Amino acid sequence: MKSEEKKERIEIREAFHLNWRAIGIWWKHYPLVFLSSAAFSLVNALTPYVGIWLSARIINELAGARDPNALLQLVIAALVSAALLSFLKAVTERWRNAQHAEKHVKVYKILTDKFLTMDFCLVDAPHTQDLYAQIRQNMQWSGWGIRRIPDNFEAVINALCQIAGAAALSVSLFTQMVPESAGTLVVFNHPSLVCVLILPLLAVTILSPILTTKADSYYASCADGAKKGNRTFGFYGFMGYDRRRALDIRMYCQNLLCQKYFLHSDNVFTTKGLLAKFARGKVGGLYALSSALSYVLTGLIYVYVCLKAYGGAFGVGSVTQYVGAITSLTGGMTKLLTTLGEMYTNTPFLRTAFEFLDIPNQMYQGSLTVEKRSDRNYEIEFRDVSFRYPNTGAWALRHVSARFRVGERLAIVGKNGSGKTTFIKLLCRLYDPSEGEILLNGIDIKKYNYQEYLSVFSVVFQDFQLLPFSLGQNTAAAAQYDAGRAETALQEAGLGKSSPLWKNGLETVLYKQFDDNGVEVSGGEAQKVAIARALYKDAPFIVLDEPTAALDPIAEAEIYEKFNEIVGDKTAIYISHRLSSCRFCDEIMVFDHGSVVQQGTHEALAADEAGIYHQLWNAQAQYYQ
Amino acid sequence: MQNETTETKASKPKYGMWSNSAFMIRTAWQTCKSVLWLCLAQAALAVAMNLFELFVAPAILQAIEDAVPIGRLLWIILLFAGGLMITGTAVSYVNLNTIFGRIEVRMNLANDLHQKFSTTSYPNTLDQKFLKLLENAKRAVGGNSDPGEAIWGTLTLLLQNAAGFLLYLAMLSALDPILILIALLTTLIGYFSSKQINNWEYRRRDEEAKFNEYLYYLDQKSADITLAKDIRIFGMGSWLNDIYNKTIRLYHVFRVKAQKIYLWSNIIDIVLTFLRNGFAYAYLIHLTLENGLSASQFLLYFTAIGGFTAWISGILTQLSTLHRQSIGISAIREFLELPEPFLFEAGEAIPPASAYELKLENVSYCYPEAENETLRHISLTIHPGEKLAVVGLNGAGKTTLIKLLCGFLDPTEGRVLLNGQDIRSFNRQSYYKLFSAVFQDFSLLAGTIAENVAQADQEMDMAKVQRCVELADLTETAERLPQGLNTHLVRSVYEDAPDLSGGQTQRLMLARALYKDAPLLILDEPTAALDPLAESDIYQRYNTLSQGRTSVFISHRLASTRFCDRILLIDGGVIAEEGTHEELLALGGKYANLFQVQSRYYQEGGAEHEI
Repeated sequence: MKSEEKKERIEIREAFHLNWRAIGIWWKHYPLVFLSSAAFSLVNALTPYVGIWLSARIINELAGARDPNALLQLVIAALVSAALLSFLKAVTERWRNAQHAEKHVKVYKILTDKFLTMDFCLVDAPHTQDLYAQIRQNMQWSGWGIRRIPDNFEAVINALCQIAGAAALSVSLFTQMVPESAGTLVVFNHPSLVCVLILPLLAVTILSPILTTKADSYYASCADGAKKGNRTFGFYGFMGYDRRRALDIRMYCQNLLCQKYFLHSDNVFTTKGLLAKFARGKVGGLYALSSALSYVLTGLIYVYVCLKAYGGAFGVGSVTQYVGAITSLTGGMTKLLTTLGEMYTNTPFLRTAFEFLDIPNQMYQGSLTVEKRSDRNYEIEFRDVSFRYPNTGAWALRHVSARFRVGERLAIVGKNGSGKTTFIKLLCRLYDPSEGEILLNGIDIKKYNYQEYLSVFSVVFQDFQLLPFSLGQNTAAAAQYDAGRAETALQEAGLGKSSPLWKNGLETVLYKQFDDNGVEVSGGEAQKVAIARALYKDAPFIVLDEPTAALDPIAEAEIYEKFNEIVGDKTAIYISHRLSSCRFCDEIMVFDHGSVVQQGTHEALAADEAGIYHQLWNAQAQYYQ
Repeated sequence: MQNETTETKASKPKYGMWSNSAFMIRTAWQTCKSVLWLCLAQAALAVAMNLFELFVAPAILQAIEDAVPIGRLLWIILLFAGGLMITGTAVSYVNLNTIFGRIEVRMNLANDLHQKFSTTSYPNTLDQKFLKLLENAKRAVGGNSDPGEAIWGTLTLLLQNAAGFLLYLAMLSALDPILILIALLTTLIGYFSSKQINNWEYRRRDEEAKFNEYLYYLDQKSADITLAKDIRIFGMGSWLNDIYNKTIRLYHVFRVKAQKIYLWSNIIDIVLTFLRNGFAYAYLIHLTLENGLSASQFLLYFTAIGGFTAWISGILTQLSTLHRQSIGISAIREFLELPEPFLFEAGEAIPPASAYELKLENVSYCYPEAENETLRHISLTIHPGEKLAVVGLNGAGKTTLIKLLCGFLDPTEGRVLLNGQDIRSFNRQSYYKLFSAVFQDFSLLAGTIAENVAQADQEMDMAKVQRCVELADLTETAERLPQGLNTHLVRSVYEDAPDLSGGQTQRLMLARALYKDAPLLILDEPTAALDPLAESDIYQRYNTLSQGRTSVFISHRLASTRFCDRILLIDGGVIAEEGTHEELLALGGKYANLFQVQSRYYQEGGAEHEI
């Protein structure tokens, strides 16, 4: 389906619209990129003409009167103007370079901003991730997409200035007449002969960028094929550097597979690939043809200008001026058209980028605030909730009803894949139920402001992540934090002062990724920091998803024993494979195939020998009796 | 050259510039010869093109000045335009075609690096020096503009500039040598002074790389599905944003500073150009006025002087680029040549045997740069067919023990013996063939489930795959997937890949170990991510799974150890206790204590009231 979209004819209007929008985005975020570009292009395009004009005057003088005084003045003018203009060019260029340096970073920032403000279910959607991957790929492959906009803008300004300057310098070519004494060459005075030059000039200027744009489109047509190859290569080409894979790679000789992908014959970028084939054939031919055409034109310009000079219309010095100016004129026009062609070719890539940036947030958000109750008297209720992940047929949750109040300890148990984590995702409104509703203090949670609603929860997910920044920042999940609270939270979570993580207090950087003085974090320590992060947030509901999986028996027992204390007057929801943890809970919900099949206290459930809980419990307990 | 002092203060590259160029030429000769031919063609065409451009205007002007017959004038124009067209067209065709071979050579080098790292003696992967060198070497083959590919452009330009220099020198020799001297002098001064300045950024490239690493990391994390949950629950968006903005700000300051400094090199250049051109004008105009030089010759010489300086600075610039790139190439070579502490091809083959006995003889191990030994004086014999359990707290050294057994680490003291022979004498790769292992960290392939089980993308024994999948209790999961065992895994490569849960992945790894069917089975915490029923199920199957094999089972869940013939409790780097489950309980030591801690929650009327 995607390739069909690509092949679709791009409307000029759409190309214009999307490019305009992309320019708008850049202008809004980074106006200096454009201003510096414009200043630089202006100076850069006009500088050569001053030189061309002055040196033509010098040569004319040398070929003519050879007046030392006039020569002296001209030479001084040439030297001084060259120096001044070079200086101006250097200043604008440096300014432009400084503004343009982080272009890729700037584009990524626009994209990541979108990610950070997107509904979770959209981040989780394969389509979103796929679009993002496409955008990255397009950008890395050849800078297609939004990244290209400033370059195109600069090229257009540059070309326009170049054309204007060249036109100004070449007008007199047509106004200066061959004197009658030149005989047959007088025909050059005839206006229709101007067409002899103008027509091929137009033809070549238009044709040659059409050829290159056509040639580029062959490359662009490889983008889809390149994507697949790139993905596989992106995996196998770097797999070996992942040190967590080191043991397996050696034990199962996986390096041989990697090698195969490295030296794969159909790698799109190497000599045997499709791109190379195009370059040797069609694309190479088109490029060569386009370049040949422009030299034919150079020849024509020479003939026209030289014959006029030969006829005596102007001096030999002016020949250099006119040839230079007209060559530059066609050059400028070619550049303009090529850039426009490029902007046209860029359209599908922009389309992808905007498809990503335009993904609308779908979750309805109310404006209610969550009442901040000092007694933390919150109540949550699931009312006949069912849920299906987008684009899947099977129900992940089916007709789940549950109610829990603040201060309770709730355990959720069940086999792998029974819907436990999905339940938590709905509770935290990472997803909305497909059917039924979830209520906070009797009001549908959709009616609350999302941020407000989230403020009620702290969650330690099974696959939580710590970031390679300071311990304090990780605890607070923010750049600024309250040191006292962070320390208390860490201590409550059991991260004793003897841990190496305290090396520099809260300033200790976790992991060595960005800081050689960083401290590597063991699984157990990471879990404690994650729990501390949940405590620091101090939300009335705290959810722990398998909090002890990475811990050894002693550490596990420690967490269990401190559990009540850690959680305090908060509501705790506890997901675990270790049923031993259920003994601490007031209530246990047993999930099976997306439904709550049992609910009650440990004693009641364990006694029900037909129930799944009894089975689960005994599976573990048998080893300890 | 003087620039070496600034660039290599950390560590001097082992190989010089010409040695590295020769290395690259050799590599290209072996992998893709066309790269070399195209370089030569590119340089030759560029010089030809330059000569046409130099002569076209003066020659035509001369003809007009001399008022040659029109026909002749047209011929001259045709000659030059034709020459320009042919060379220009060839240039654009050749330029377009150079990149592919160059990529191929770079990919070959990248593959060598990747292979070296994936197969190198495991302790190397823990060695900071080794990793540092790897980083440098990797950076040299990362992209089109990195030394492993860009060196071809440099060598081509060097050749082209050298040829151009000689041709122009011959041409200008008709003029006063002082002119050549001045051109030479101003170019040299300009080059060396701006080189000092332009090196600013290069000297700080690590700083810049750091910015990019940071930003790349933040990009990744913002799009990370797993972290997305944490980001929303804890409002981490503004944290990431703060760090992002701060980094961009610092990066911008860095770039602005660099550009401000570079402006000085522009200024120096402008002054020198002013002087050189001033002198050239004065000299050539003097010749014209006094010696009757024609206007077209004036134009020719004036352009040639400009061209001459361009060739000189071209040579100097390319030499310094080459020198810089050579450091990267040297890193590649040095990395590839790093010594291997283990024997591979040079090692002995494993003598075929019906049973394998592993023995640790007074083994100690200390990680590089660690203060204390992780394991101390361990002596242990694992008999053929024995089921051994290794238990202990996190960080007790269980995994290190396994790495020693599997031959990933060599003991710092003592020996590991296979049927009485030190494993150090064997080809380590064939030693690895003796093991089927499931480690805590695993390496999933971007391929089908079946490929992951068989660890091959062809010549799979599908019946065996199915048997192993069945044994690992993965059949039901596989059947539920639309393409069954042919379902592709790894979402980053296959968009429709399913997400396997931790438990399912662990079963897959188990199936893989079974498929390999090696005499020694190693299971490192294979049930951590499984639910109780599945865990219990694996324990029950354990006897079947390890049938006819020697097996080592590592766990901190003591329940698992019941199925083993012998249990080792590792504590403080030594074997603290050893025996069967019953023996150890009767001993009343650490094992008994650990067991008590874990079991009390499972015993009726347990610990709930203690809290």
